[in-house]
Amino acid sequence: MRVIVATSVAPFVDGGSTQIVAWLHRQLQASGHDVELFQLPFSESYNEILDQLLALRLLDLTQHGDRLIAVRTPSHLLKHPKKVTWFIHHYRSAYDLWGTKYQTLPNTPEGLACRQAIINSDNIALRECTRLFCNSTVVKDRLQRFNQIAAEVLYPPLLDPARFRSGPYGEYLLYFSRLTHHKRQWLAIEALRYTRTPVRLIIAGCPDPGLEPYVFDLHRLVEKYGLEQRVSILSRWISEDDKIELFANCAAVLYFPFDEDSYGYPSLEAHAARKAVLTTIDAGGTNELIVNGNNGLITPADPELIAEGMDALYNDRSMAQRMGESGEQRVRDLGINWDNVVARLLA
Amino acid sequence: MKLAVLNNAVPFVQGGAEHLADALSAKLCEYGHQALLVRIPFRWEPPSKILEHMLACRLMRIPGVDRVIAFKFPAFYVPHEDKVLWLLHQFRQAYDLWGTALQGLPDSLEGREIRDCILTADNSYLTEVNNIFTNSEITSGRLKTFNGLKSEVLHPPLLNPEQFSCSEYGNYIFAPGRINEAKRQQLLVESMEFCRSPVKLIVAGKAERKEDAEAIRAIIHKRGLQDRVEFIERFITENEKVEWFSRALACAYIPYDEDSYGYVTLESFLSRKPVITCVDSGGIHELVKDRATGRVVASDAKDLAGAMDALYQNKAGARRMGEAGYDLAQTLDISWDRVIRVLTS
Amino acid sequence: MKIAWFTPMSQTSAIARFSVAVAASLTKLADVEIGYFDADHVRETGVPARRFQSSKSVTPEVLRSFDAVIYNFGNYLPFHREIYLLSRQWPGVCILHDFVMHHFFAGYHLEHLRNPTSYDLLMETTYGREAPVAARVWETDEVVRFPLFEEVTRGALGIITHSEFFKQRVEACFSGPVARIPLAYDVGTTQSEISRTQLGVQAEEILIVTVGHVNPNKHIESVIDAISRLGPASQRVVYAIVGSASPDYERALKAAARAKGLTDIVRFLGQVSDDLLSAYLSAADICINLRFPAMEGASASVIEEMLFGKPVIVTNTGFFGELPDECVVKVRPDGDAELASALKQLVLDDSVRKRIGALAKLFAENEFHADQYATKLMAFLWNVRSSTPLLGLADRVGVELARIGVVRDAKLVDSLALEIESTLVSPATKTQL
Repeated sequence: MRVIVATSVAPFVDGGSTQIVAWLHRQLQASGHDVELFQLPFSESYNEILDQLLALRLLDLTQHGDRLIAVRTPSHLLKHPKKVTWFIHHYRSAYDLWGTKYQTLPNTPEGLACRQAIINSDNIALRECTRLFCNSTVVKDRLQRFNQIAAEVLYPPLLDPARFRSGPYGEYLLYFSRLTHHKRQWLAIEALRYTRTPVRLIIAGCPDPGLEPYVFDLHRLVEKYGLEQRVSILSRWISEDDKIELFANCAAVLYFPFDEDSYGYPSLEAHAARKAVLTTIDAGGTNELIVNGNNGLITPADPELIAEGMDALYNDRSMAQRMGESGEQRVRDLGINWDNVVARLLA
Repeated sequence: MKLAVLNNAVPFVQGGAEHLADALSAKLCEYGHQALLVRIPFRWEPPSKILEHMLACRLMRIPGVDRVIAFKFPAFYVPHEDKVLWLLHQFRQAYDLWGTALQGLPDSLEGREIRDCILTADNSYLTEVNNIFTNSEITSGRLKTFNGLKSEVLHPPLLNPEQFSCSEYGNYIFAPGRINEAKRQQLLVESMEFCRSPVKLIVAGKAERKEDAEAIRAIIHKRGLQDRVEFIERFITENEKVEWFSRALACAYIPYDEDSYGYVTLESFLSRKPVITCVDSGGIHELVKDRATGRVVASDAKDLAGAMDALYQNKAGARRMGEAGYDLAQTLDISWDRVIRVLTS
Repeated sequence: MKIAWFTPMSQTSAIARFSVAVAASLTKLADVEIGYFDADHVRETGVPARRFQSSKSVTPEVLRSFDAVIYNFGNYLPFHREIYLLSRQWPGVCILHDFVMHHFFAGYHLEHLRNPTSYDLLMETTYGREAPVAARVWETDEVVRFPLFEEVTRGALGIITHSEFFKQRVEACFSGPVARIPLAYDVGTTQSEISRTQLGVQAEEILIVTVGHVNPNKHIESVIDAISRLGPASQRVVYAIVGSASPDYERALKAAARAKGLTDIVRFLGQVSDDLLSAYLSAADICINLRFPAMEGASASVIEEMLFGKPVIVTNTGFFGELPDECVVKVRPDGDAELASALKQLVLDDSVRKRIGALAKLFAENEFHADQYATKLMAFLWNVRSSTPLLGLADRVGVELARIGVVRDAKLVDSLALEIESTLVSPATKTQL
């Protein structure tokens, strides 16, 4: 098939959807399709939005391709007779961030009108799709609530889960994620302080640009609780091989960002290495993947209760193993693989 | 510097402009810049779509980049305060092709109005651009004639010039490249019938349409040229191309009225081989001068045969012209160093 | 909200008076700053007011600091010229006080610019082939067919009119938001101390008053005729015409009065002081305020008469026709017999006069209150500001199309409008727009 993949980009900003689009491109090609990728720049400046939305309605791809798969908003405004959208998140300032301190549209009649126009364009364009998918139940609910439209959840897979290997259930818990405040690595350190076992903690990942102070704070926290012997912080780009090693030998994986839309690649990476995931009730999308007691543990976001979970996984390695294997199965059960994704998108 | 490279796109079609845009983006990164290739959908049928896409480009925004480099109409309308053009060609249907069989736009009131709009828009928006470069003297000439705009010629370099070499002046003329009617490979093959020396011809490339390849095979068969002509009808690899150039006597490139001299010409010169071309081939005359860096003859089978024979019989002359071509390529500084320097200064 | 309010501020401008009253109310709801160009004899106001030398002195930096800019328009060039020029540079909300703006534009092009060609061009672009070939159309009644208010609406963000009929006319040529807000009018707190007797009117006489510049469209001769038809009752009537008239016209009217034997009854007072005018209105038993054809957007004079609690006979046209039936006495424009009988009824029946007058006052005090105007204006400004993102988009598209050279009525323009509407305008907003 000839497939057009269209997405919006903020030039030189690596966003959440950059990887999904790149991996989708590769997987479609690997499945033998002819793929054209359109990455259209998009400015989020509120006084430029309406112009750009109109531009998307005028750019004409209708005569080409058997499918047009739109990913990042507002690329779904492009017209096509066989348009499929894999919706990752809304233009949040007009939706769930409206009315909060993160709202970037001004609270004036002009801002309100702009917001209304954005919502309306989504309502119209999403209904033009022959199929509408989204990446999590969280997003599915938002689509229903804000746009009164039903979407099918289509979970984004890892590019190549087979690269991960499963090793022994070792002495440390791994928190592998971008180093930034809302990923809450600091909460892992707070929790470790309450553990009764000698379980260790490895925090690994790249700090977001400009967030060196956060990393500094993490170190200070470790010092404050005298946990230097038990906590390693690897704040840098980690090579693929090193990453695989870290996942392979951990007892389990920790992942409890605050209220994220999707389950996050670290959860998938954990399960690819057959490791359980310890997460919290308020982590958001991760709760769609992790079932308490099945492929991981879910606790309230309280350091002492998290510590109990940490100890449990340390003390009972066979449980950790069992849960890790369930995790692998759960990923299969949920159809989180590219064959499924490609099949659904092109159906 | 953070740059966006803007080009039009028709899905699933890749031509010279697309390759150049890809190459430029890659080279910009190689030279330490950040480059984003932006391909903008363009549809020109029915003609009303042209205006819609012109407007769409005006409504687009490119945040977070220091400069924008645009190749073609209407991508070059996208607003940005630091915009540079590397123009491959304008919308020729409204300019030099207007009034000819290739005008493309209908000869109706609507067609004329759309043509007027294209001229008006070019004249209005192109004056806001910081610098205009083009890929050939012909393109620059048209820009001056039709729009009164000055521009500097910036020749598109080869992606990997260092791989070409010269091992010998062999016994064949090499004619690589896409096979279609405009490139006139058929005429080259026909002229082999009139060659008196044992010179051979290698035609190598993918045909755009089956009919073009079949026509060539038919002539080879009908005139019994199987021993003279080798027809390699497929994409050839870079290595194969380099090898064939290296051992060739000369190169033949005889398109009908092209704007630019074609990469083949450069590849030939870097391999120190002269180029045979025709009087009506267009922009190639910028580089190929008769008896200096190659042969320029009438687009006639016998004349072409004569040129090929002459080179075969005078290999020293072929060498001389080939070396002159190589020197010319050096003086013109058709390099990525220059291109990147000019486009990012 | 920060509002810039551009208006004449001259003592002799009724619009200035209106502006001062509205600004006083508006300032309770928003930050208001008045901008004006008048050199002297400027009204006082409690609201911050700033004088500018000309429209050129009002810089974009100044205007940018406001959320809304309001321009007041009337059919008088000296008071509104700079306001008009400013409105061309910086789009804002225009309050159209006068329906007929022809005299303004004739003056602007022919006297100020001294360019008859630009006047002709204006007429042609506004009215096309219907534009009259005859010159000086503003001196005839035909002027109501070519009011030229349309020119003011070009490029405006929103339009405010003071009558329903005018609103509909604006909607026919302006695609942005239009509101009809009842004209704000304040009577002024000081009552005149001049008594009826001092005006030369006896207790048992019936004082009929007509106020304002004596124009043919006020049909004074019809009033004189109606008085003559009162029979013996006409001798008890005093008809005071308060307002200047051209000498020729006044002569003609006097002749008409004389012919009907009403010379002693009809008094031509010319232009009088505010105080004297107030005295006449206060003392009046009946007001007559005919207007045909209507030139204004609304009538301050009838509002004033109603605020004084007087029964007013009006023509059933324009703004007057929109007043409640029980508050004024409406007659057909060409109905001389109807006018005569209406007048007779009022002259003979004191209780009817009192009833209508009381209802008129009650209605007017509420309807034409500056606080009401300010509230409705604020609501409209909110509406206008809500339209600006989409109008701004349409404008920018228009600018690009103009640069591309697309003809105004091309299919492309229509299809773009349709695309904007179908994609960006929600069903709810559609009804609003």
